[in-house]
Amino acid sequence: MKIKQDGQRMSISHIPELSAVNSTSFRDEVQAAIPPSMNTLDIDLSQTLFVDSSGLGALFSLYKNTGSGNGVKLRLLNPAPQVQQLLELTQMHQFFEITRD
Amino acid sequence: MKTLLICPAHRPAVARLAKACPLVLVPILGKCLVEYWLEYLVLRGDHEVRIIAIDRAEQVRALVGDGSRWGMRVEVIAEVNESDPVEIRAHRDGHPVSPATPPAPDDVVLMDHLPGLSGFPLFDSYEAWFHALQAWIPQACTPDRIGRREISPGIFVGLHSRISPAAQLNAPCWIGDNVFVGPDAVIGPGAILEDRAFIECGAHITRSVVGPETFVGELTLIDQSLASGNLLINWKNRSCLDVPDEFLLCSLGVRQPPPRARSWVRSPLMSLRELIPSQQE
Repeated sequence: MKIKQDGQRMSISHIPELSAVNSTSFRDEVQAAIPPSMNTLDIDLSQTLFVDSSGLGALFSLYKNTGSGNGVKLRLLNPAPQVQQLLELTQMHQFFEITRD
Repeated sequence: MKTLLICPAHRPAVARLAKACPLVLVPILGKCLVEYWLEYLVLRGDHEVRIIAIDRAEQVRALVGDGSRWGMRVEVIAEVNESDPVEIRAHRDGHPVSPATPPAPDDVVLMDHLPGLSGFPLFDSYEAWFHALQAWIPQACTPDRIGRREISPGIFVGLHSRISPAAQLNAPCWIGDNVFVGPDAVIGPGAILEDRAFIECGAHITRSVVGPETFVGELTLIDQSLASGNLLINWKNRSCLDVPDEFLLCSLGVRQPPPRARSWVRSPLMSLRELIPSQQE
């Protein structure tokens, strides 16, 4: 996983999977890296091939802690069609801004 | 009259549908394609049908048997390659044709559509499959389906289905036999729930097909999809997902048998048998 900060924007990329194996460490690492003056958090899911409910839970936890009410925009970038399907199945696509290039 | 029914072989556009069984045996509103065709032929007056099966012919044979269920004689022949109806007809024309043979195109039928719905090919794509099933809903409510009723225009419900009064049903929709629909679920428009599907409370199912014995979890959204077991196919963009979490989507049909209780009599006997060396040793 790569974390890159560019001014008030933070980008996270190279996430091969978000599952019960790594979701807790993913969430903790991202939360620890978030600076106080951030206004946009981009999570690049283009290389994420597998997501399960634990991974969705980690994303939602980030949404709750950073996105909603704290003025930080959380965007999911280029999710694979299967990941998009899971987001829609769980209706979590309504919470995130999903952006495609 | 002798009619030839040809089962479609491999269809890459809908390959995931044929994973568990051949395409002609995939459930369509409670029955399968080959059953619909045999019913159609028997109503037309045919008494003798030959089915050419390429993919898993033994499963087709196990379902249709000898055809006595329909009051006709049915023979299933396994072949390696899919035959072209035009070629079969041309080959047949070189030989003496029985006067009882029905005229083309009804004499040789490639089962790639439902009877009378040749404008809705089933296997061109997942989207085509979905639209063909939608078109079939008004015709599928045949008198032989005991207990099935149209509870309001365009909403068909099968026998022993339990639908919460708090659920919302929007036409057109088809609910099979022994289906459970929980409170606050939204079914339709364009929803097909096959037999023994279990829809948890708050689930939304629109423009989709839920396969038999499929559990759909609480507050899930299934739109423009074909769901069967834990397989979710988006018919619009052809994306396929094996849902990893059973509380979201899973099959109710595949269950591990419970461990057999050890009888207090059988257990010592079995242990004793294991101790005694066999005569062959």
